[in-house]
Amino acid sequence: MTAETGTSDPHTPPAHPVTGLDDVVHQRVRLGILTIAHEARRVEFGYLRTQLRLTAGNLSQHLGVLETAGLIEIEKGYAGKRGRTWITLTAAGRTALAEEIGRLKLLIARVETTDTREDR
Amino acid sequence: MTTDSVPAGGDPRRLLSDVRFLAHRVRLDQRLTWVALLVLAAVTLAGIPFDWLGMRVDCLPDGGCQFARRGMLYYWPPALPLAYAAIAVCYVRAARARGLGARVLPYAITGAATTVVFPAAWLAVALYLSEHPVPDHPLPYWGLVLDRLVMPWGMIGVALLVLAWLERNVALLLFTLAYLAMVLLVLPMNTGFGPFQWGLRAEMALPQLVSGALLLLGAIGFRLADRRHR
Repeated sequence: MTAETGTSDPHTPPAHPVTGLDDVVHQRVRLGILTIAHEARRVEFGYLRTQLRLTAGNLSQHLGVLETAGLIEIEKGYAGKRGRTWITLTAAGRTALAEEIGRLKLLIARVETTDTREDR
Repeated sequence: MTTDSVPAGGDPRRLLSDVRFLAHRVRLDQRLTWVALLVLAAVTLAGIPFDWLGMRVDCLPDGGCQFARRGMLYYWPPALPLAYAAIAVCYVRAARARGLGARVLPYAITGAATTVVFPAAWLAVALYLSEHPVPDHPLPYWGLVLDRLVMPWGMIGVALLVLAWLERNVALLLFTLAYLAMVLLVLPMNTGFGPFQWGLRAEMALPQLVSGALLLLGAIGFRLADRRHR
């Protein structure tokens, strides 16, 4: 999923956090889908479409990418006569989301450190 | 949020801020705090007649009275699990109607688990008193507070703390702390009070009435805040 940032050679500087970013997750909409699915435990297609302000087609595309990567599970069912699609985060999805957030925080910390050095 | 792909060099601060915003949004949409408070207020107020009618009072010629609150023992153990089950069902149904899963189950389980604390404490005291004489000196202050904590009204507060944590709900946390301060430190839930000589039953009912009213006011407040938010 993601590249390792650690290194066994103590003389080699650690890899920049940006090299560990996963293209599947490091995309604003897909990150949003993972975040909502994580918080909600289980989320309906319509809720995602409203919150992320997407068309049904666009959202389906992003869901397809995440499902292919094994980060979410899609379950279709009915509520009365209405068809409903529920999205659940997989264990891999939870890990990917946690790693992405960790790397984003690392990137911010790196940028802030660089800014401080340049200010001196 | 847009459908544009974010390049690798996208602003991480904005991405993180989006993540936090969405997580907060989902938590707000999952909340049904007022229902939890309303159900607990109803259970508290409904418990008053049980306590009143089930209380055995034996007054001695010297003016002192002994009492046993049997009604509480029969009412609360089944009432609280039923209340938490009702709250859990309401949360799940409301969240599902909004297109979300619910995060109330740990609260309902905690609440139902706290139900056993009161009968267990009652049993422990009864067993102790069967082998020891009744102490002739009053309980120390910490003993009174501990006694109030293990009573159903204290346990309701403990379970509400869990709900506040699950919902990351600061307003509920503050409300619960105020509620706990009332039922543990201010209201004599275990000794009763009244401005006039109302009789033991009425003196025991008054603190329950106040704590029920407090929960009811909380339910109304959270309901109004919820409506304004939506």
